[in-house]
Amino acid sequence: MTEPLPADCAQILDALQDVLRDEASPEMAEAVRRHLEECGPCRNHAGFERRFLELLRKCDREQLPADLRARILAALRQDPR
Amino acid sequence: MAEPNAEFESEVLPQLDVLYRVARRMTGNAADAEDLVQETVLKALRGWAGFRPGSNARAWLLTILRNAFINGYRRRKREPIAMDIDTADRHSVLREAAEHDPEGEFFDHLVDETVLGAVEALPEEFREALVLSDLEGLPYAEIAQVLEVPVGTVKSRLFRARRQLQRVLHEYAVEQGYLKGGTTG
Repeated sequence: MTEPLPADCAQILDALQDVLRDEASPEMAEAVRRHLEECGPCRNHAGFERRFLELLRKCDREQLPADLRARILAALRQDPR
Repeated sequence: MAEPNAEFESEVLPQLDVLYRVARRMTGNAADAEDLVQETVLKALRGWAGFRPGSNARAWLLTILRNAFINGYRRRKREPIAMDIDTADRHSVLREAAEHDPEGEFFDHLVDETVLGAVEALPEEFREALVLSDLEGLPYAEIAQVLEVPVGTVKSRLFRARRQLQRVLHEYAVEQGYLKGGTTG
């Protein structure tokens, strides 16, 4: 099993997930930023998580097929309600 | 006669792409995803009176889509028994990657199809949380609403889903020679 990180680093890395997704308070984001400035392993970890999230955010750009969109629109506009 | 539908259209049409992507990742194929989106729009239209103007149309529609998926498509498909993601979880890939690629540069070598294939292989309950959060960028609170679970549950599923996905992608990168292998296996 993975060695547990020091408690403060573990908590920072937990908060990092929220920071990367704009879910952290400004205070928390600042605490994470300050910690990363001085902690090399956590900085690497942050780079790892950031790359991972960037990969996920861009991997799916599919759009509804145009013919289906047209069919849905046509059905809505024929529907008398 | 077009008036009520005009409001419906203005709320629903902007969400069709996200509905399709989520349907695609949940069903695993384009044909079922198309059917699921159509069914969702139809159900939404029938239930339009229950939509509160000004509330979140995306969350409302995704909830309808998810229920339609659970009640229909999933039953037809044989879902694999959920793997013990807890076990996989313990072997954080970060530890393996720390030696050769601490900042995860191997992620840059992966093509979208590889990533999406790995996402689709995740157990359903982890996959849906991950798709909504990390692919579609929904806030935790909105995901909690769609999945009908507390935010804490969303976060714990996300944590495990990310670990599992990182592990699979890392193994793939090692196999493909994008980076030197860690101590896998």
